[in-house]
Amino acid sequence: MISAITTNAAFVVLKTDYNIHYRMFQIFEISEILFVSMYTCEFLMKVYVDPIKYWRDGYNLLDMVIIIIILIPYTLRKIKGRFYKNLNIADGIQSLRILKLISYSRGIRTLITAVGQTVYTVASVLTLLFVLMYIFAILGFCLFGVVERGDLNNWGNLASAFFTLFSLATVDGWTNLQEQLDKRKFVVSRVFTILFILIASFIFLNMFIGVMIMHTENSIKKFQRELMVERHVTLMEEKQVILRRQQEEVNKLVTTQKTGGKNFTQLVEEFKKTLRHTDPMVLDDFGASLPFVSIYLSTLDNQDNTLNKLQKLYYEIVNVLCLMLEDMPQEKTSHSS
Amino acid sequence: MAQERGHIPLPRADAIRSHLIDTFSLIEHLQGLSQAVPRHTLREILGLPNYFFVIDPSLQKKLMSGDQHQLVRFSIKPRHMGHITHSQRMLSRLRVRCSQRPPLSLWAGWVIESILLCHLFLLWLSLISNRSYLLKIHHLPHISEYNCTDGRNSFILEILLMWLFGFTLYWNNAWNVFDFVVTMLSLLPEFVVLMGVSGNSVWLQLLRISRVLRSLKLFARLRQMKVIILALARALKSMTFLLMLLLIFFYIFAVTGVYFFQDYSRSTIENLEYNMFFSDLLNSLVTVFILFTLDHWYAVLQDVWKVPEASRVFSSIYVILWLLLGSIIFRNIIVAMMVTNFQNIRNELNEEMTHLEIQYKADIFKRQIILRSAMCSNPCYFSTCFLRQNLFPESVRRESQGKHSEDLLGHSKESVVSDPEKKDASKSDDVDKSDDVDKSDDADKSDDADKSDDADKSDDADKSDDADKGDDVDKSDADESDAKQDEDGKGQKEPPKAKANTSSSSAATSSYSSSLADLDHADNLDWETLVHENLPGLMDMDQDDRVVWPRDSLFRYFELLEKLQYNIEERKKLQEFAGEDLRQPWGQEPQLLLF
Repeated sequence: MISAITTNAAFVVLKTDYNIHYRMFQIFEISEILFVSMYTCEFLMKVYVDPIKYWRDGYNLLDMVIIIIILIPYTLRKIKGRFYKNLNIADGIQSLRILKLISYSRGIRTLITAVGQTVYTVASVLTLLFVLMYIFAILGFCLFGVVERGDLNNWGNLASAFFTLFSLATVDGWTNLQEQLDKRKFVVSRVFTILFILIASFIFLNMFIGVMIMHTENSIKKFQRELMVERHVTLMEEKQVILRRQQEEVNKLVTTQKTGGKNFTQLVEEFKKTLRHTDPMVLDDFGASLPFVSIYLSTLDNQDNTLNKLQKLYYEIVNVLCLMLEDMPQEKTSHSS
Repeated sequence: MAQERGHIPLPRADAIRSHLIDTFSLIEHLQGLSQAVPRHTLREILGLPNYFFVIDPSLQKKLMSGDQHQLVRFSIKPRHMGHITHSQRMLSRLRVRCSQRPPLSLWAGWVIESILLCHLFLLWLSLISNRSYLLKIHHLPHISEYNCTDGRNSFILEILLMWLFGFTLYWNNAWNVFDFVVTMLSLLPEFVVLMGVSGNSVWLQLLRISRVLRSLKLFARLRQMKVIILALARALKSMTFLLMLLLIFFYIFAVTGVYFFQDYSRSTIENLEYNMFFSDLLNSLVTVFILFTLDHWYAVLQDVWKVPEASRVFSSIYVILWLLLGSIIFRNIIVAMMVTNFQNIRNELNEEMTHLEIQYKADIFKRQIILRSAMCSNPCYFSTCFLRQNLFPESVRRESQGKHSEDLLGHSKESVVSDPEKKDASKSDDVDKSDDVDKSDDADKSDDADKSDDADKSDDADKSDDADKGDDVDKSDADESDAKQDEDGKGQKEPPKAKANTSSSSAATSSYSSSLADLDHADNLDWETLVHENLPGLMDMDQDDRVVWPRDSLFRYFELLEKLQYNIEERKKLQEFAGEDLRQPWGQEPQLLLF
């Protein structure tokens, strides 16, 4: 399927060149029929397999939209005749067929889901930008477009005002526009332009960057955290399962009739006899390593010693207090007497 | 499982027991499935050297062909990135040490490391030579190619030396491969000329120009540049999907552009500046890129509007859509991804550094522990050891110095336990002394714990013990613990008891080598914090950290460890009793004080 889509995309590219199209149009026709039939078959089969859940997946919806797009030129030709003006538009949209490829690549899918989460913020920033442009467009129209000596070309109607403002926002060629306004000796124009450029270009368009950085960071962190937690949980579960199974087996062994009801130590007595001293076992386990042994025993000894000292101290305190007690009544008697 | 002892279930003891079962595969043995137990480790099968026994190929073949269905125990540990260089490793190899003449690779390594500064100078010279090269291109009388050849020869020499030092190592490093490619490219024209091809073809000139790449080698030497370049490469790698998506969108808009602006491209109106911008697919691609960089888009759009056949709606929709999608949204996505990638890379580098530091500290700690028993017990050392906060200065017992005999170089950390005679002597010492102490004592549970400690320690220390003797000691242990279990501890520590304490503690904790640099740091902390700090690093054992145990001793070790847990628990209980007992006199105090 991937190769089919790529070949289709290549053919679309080749069709743009008029010479090639003229010479090999039969091949193009046949391939077109082939590809359209492939896509339709795929669509119909998928719908047949699972009519209801099919519509939940976004990429299936994309497939359907592309099929509709493929059918547009045909229907237009049928309805409006071969010389409809906007036929080239319909032909142009055929390039969208390559979007079918992205459902086959997992990397791009994750990317799109990650980016798709930023859609709301992007949309809100765009709306804000639109509102700002609307305000300034009306302002610009009233200032520069309505007056007779005004710059009707750029600010004459709302659409051109919008375009001019967009050109200012993406600071491209704004000096020319500003020159036009300067030629007509508008005093306010400079302030207007500079203000708008500051707000729209410096602030708004860079707000995009900030918002996206925040979102990508959040999504990546969340993703990684989820991964770690999942891994940790599965590991713990596996360990628990192994431990439990071990305990069960030992209990079973202890309680079966075959072993005569001995307990664990008695069971392994025999096994111990088979262990030979010269048989080496190589362990890389921390619990049986030398540092662990030394540290553990040292810690135990430290505990012992601390307790020892503590007890000594307590007894000393007790002794001292006893001594004090003995002294006190003597003082009292000496006082009273 | 703890029902045998009739006590509270201790999770730690249970864990030790399950570990024992696991290591010895007891379940399979008890069920009679002895053949289902793995007998060999992966390293034996693969013939990797094990410092305890040498694998000769015949043994390996025997293992492999012996039993086709035998099980192999897998254990894969990471290899630590050490600070041990290749030259250090080579210095400690037996082959190198025992040979009469040192191998040439050592000398090569020394040469490489010592003339590093010279190299920088030569590279700078090559930069200058590039300048002279530019002069040559401009047909000015050039200085000479003397600098060029000099630099080139030194590069070739460097490559040869590095090959001598370690051939496979050379190809593992990407910078070296880059060096090699650039040097070969600069040598290629000469070879080709030698073979008779004319020396003036364009291709050869291009190759000569690639010598300029040699100046890039300068960047490899500076560490900062290396880090930045690595970070850039990683960031680009993670952005591959983004760039693929961007390419897809380029394709879509290029093809669509050709179709949308067909009328504009074919129009016959004069002074259309950007007429051929959408005429062909390649031109359309370039135009899409121009629009992506937001350059003169409004001029292009206004030009398109000059043609009346082109529909304004669609063309403006096209341009505005592409601007929003491509240059505003996509470019900011790229910036955001680069920023997050750089942050991630920085965090990862920091983590790596901290990880390395932890490992390094853990290694130092390990070395301290190992060295302490090898040091002679000198009373003056005790004042400097970090136990002084917990202990009173004690008379140190001359104890088993050969407790652990290992290879202190730190390269191979596998320890082979040997020295049976010393251990036997020390063990008999231990057992005798503790026996004496015990018999002369009134009961105290901590005594038992100490004795079992002693017995345990001596058992553990002498890995070459025979099981019977250990059994005897343990049986006496069990007896005495049973006998003394329900005696109420008076809590009186008698001097011989204290001596047993001190001796046991000194047995376990001899002085530390004050020559180690980290001792100052260790002095400032107490034992517990030190252990806790270094514990993650210690637990992170790497490939070479293996211990060889004799089987029966290992079994005894696990058994005794488990019993130790129970003993400690009982001792805690008894100490509580002792504490309560102590409270009695306290209870009378306030009344006496009141009047």
